[in-house]
Amino acid sequence: MNLITLKNKSREEVATTLEVESRELLLEKFISLGLPHKMTEEYHYFDVEKLLDAEYKTLNYVPKTIVEGDKIEIVDGVVTTAPKGMRVYYEPCEMIDMNHFDALYYLGHLLSPRTIKIEIDGDTAVEILHKYTQSDTLISYRIVLYNQANRHTAVYENFEADDIKNTLVLYGYDMHVAQDSTLRFIKLQTMQNSGYSMIASHKVNVSKNANAVLKNFDFGGDKALNIFKIELGEYAHVDAGHLLYLNNDSKRGTASQIIHRGEYSTSKQEAKNILDGQARGIFDALIRVEHSAKFSKAEQSAKSILLHKKAYMASKPQLEIYIDELEASHGATTGQLDEKQLFYLQSRGISYVEARKILVIAFANTLIEQVKDSRHQDRIKAAFEEVFYTENKG
Amino acid sequence: MSTVMKIENLEAKIGDKKILKGLNLELEAGKVHAIMGPNGAGKSTLSKTIVGHYDVEVLGGDITYKGKSIVDMDAEERALEGIFLSFQHPVEIPGVNNAYFLRTALNAKRKYEGKEELNAAEFLRLMKNHLEMLGMKSDMISRSLNEGFSGGEKKRNEILQMLILEPEVIILDEIDSGLDIDALRAVSEGINKMKDGKRTFLVITHYSRILDYIEPDYIHVLKDGKVIKTAGPELVAQLEEHGYDAIEEE
Ligand SMILES: Nc1ncnc2c1ncn2[C@@H]1O[C@H](COP(=O)(O)OP(=O)(O)OP(=O)(O)O)[C@@H](O)[C@H]1O
Ligand SMILES: [Mg+2]
Repeated sequence: MNLITLKNKSREEVATTLEVESRELLLEKFISLGLPHKMTEEYHYFDVEKLLDAEYKTLNYVPKTIVEGDKIEIVDGVVTTAPKGMRVYYEPCEMIDMNHFDALYYLGHLLSPRTIKIEIDGDTAVEILHKYTQSDTLISYRIVLYNQANRHTAVYENFEADDIKNTLVLYGYDMHVAQDSTLRFIKLQTMQNSGYSMIASHKVNVSKNANAVLKNFDFGGDKALNIFKIELGEYAHVDAGHLLYLNNDSKRGTASQIIHRGEYSTSKQEAKNILDGQARGIFDALIRVEHSAKFSKAEQSAKSILLHKKAYMASKPQLEIYIDELEASHGATTGQLDEKQLFYLQSRGISYVEARKILVIAFANTLIEQVKDSRHQDRIKAAFEEVFYTENKG
Repeated sequence: MSTVMKIENLEAKIGDKKILKGLNLELEAGKVHAIMGPNGAGKSTLSKTIVGHYDVEVLGGDITYKGKSIVDMDAEERALEGIFLSFQHPVEIPGVNNAYFLRTALNAKRKYEGKEELNAAEFLRLMKNHLEMLGMKSDMISRSLNEGFSGGEKKRNEILQMLILEPEVIILDEIDSGLDIDALRAVSEGINKMKDGKRTFLVITHYSRILDYIEPDYIHVLKDGKVIKTAGPELVAQLEEHGYDAIEEE
């Protein structure tokens, strides 16, 4: 399948190509948003057309028997293992957001009539490992994730790939963070030259009095865009963190909307971006506080360090506010490493290369240290240092 | 006498401003040299020039250390060769653990000298005595480097670095400014501990108080980018009484 053939097609034609006649509303949403292109806001700095305009093999996603394992493993969009007692099954997604801003959210749903449903019971932590084994393939799947009210859950999401090339992964979550619960969702991508590009498109509902902690550690190569829309109910809180380290000619980043619907909802979004080589980073993030969200608080910041003159960061944090009084803070900075700090280290006999590493790691650590579980914190630190040191030999 | 560092006709600028205007200074090995002079005279600029700060551009003259010119050396190499500056305003570096920084600096030096690097445990053992002497709480080294440190704590942390790195030429730029009496005593004790008749000190100060503790051998007066007088410690009392305007260029 070549996705670019969906461009400017009638509904009948799109329906026939995708073989999805029965899913009228989704189809309408997809068609009205249109296939993303260069001028689509959230894809503006991302070469989406190149990714869409390629001949991909498609897969069947026939469910397999799920074997007991220590984590949830999803291989090419099909669940293979799950921890004992964890409810993981397939069913049609019954809660699709009919107001998402991203066309590929709908395309993902259209291509995945059955979604992987994960229900996390109790106060648990679970690892979700995504594996990709197919070259030249469009791997498309959706996951629905529920936790339980009053519970504290943590999800650690990781990625692995065989030696593949030219694959496009379209995946995403519809997450439901239950009332009075906490969901920590820690995503780590560390693969350089992974051989696949990824567009992840999520929707997160944060119910009344619930707390969603979403941390994205992206040290990957190639291309990836992490798109999400978060809706906050009354007294709901989201803490979104994004750490991006890019090198060579990778293009990766985030396009997000956080929408305050309920009163007294609070949001905090912090991005730290480190760009080297000719990499291009994206942080296009909107926080919108609606009329209904009186007494809300919003905090947004984006800090970027450019380590090479050809590196580029498209940083666009935005606040859109429809209430009279809002406690909000907002800021974005882009710059080089602080030369006073560099000099201080060098004046103690530490080499320039080493001093630069120390400062970059320090910049990253302030975000990594927000991962409370020390085992995972150490794991992410190690992953960052490994990627960073590999790219900065000497 | 043996000279460890010789500064000849040094001219230097920061930005467009010429600050050092033909400065001459000779540091005798193993001695304590104090530099005094009015605000803006160029004392900090001199110390920055010696350690190779990026702000400073040398326009003329030379600095030789142990007989070799150092003006074209990198800052890190000057440090590894044994030149140390305690900064007037040490920078804060959030996210860099102080102990990690100190150990990295020490190990860089040890490696340069062909010695074994110290592991974390060996390093902490070495630190213990220093911390006690300087009256530093042990949490000071588990915090981020200088982040949120009080003025006095930053200065103690500079002295701690000096004690660990054991440099040969030690420049202290206003190490005494903003210190309370106990801190001044602790810092002076740290300095005196390093006085072994071989190491050389260049102490920049506005006050005689610290000089009571560390007993300088020479007093140099720096004014308008030049050293205009060099004398023995008796000059301090004269300066306190009559100020810098009374000093005639020699
Ligand atoms: N980064 C800079 N940019 C511009 N001018 C500078 C800079 N640093 C120093 N100067 C100027 O150079 C002159 C000498 O400054 P310096 O800091 O060396 O003086 P100082 O003798 O150490 O004074 P103090 O006793 O106040 O510490 C001053 O006029 C100062 O304003
Ligand atoms: Mg000064």
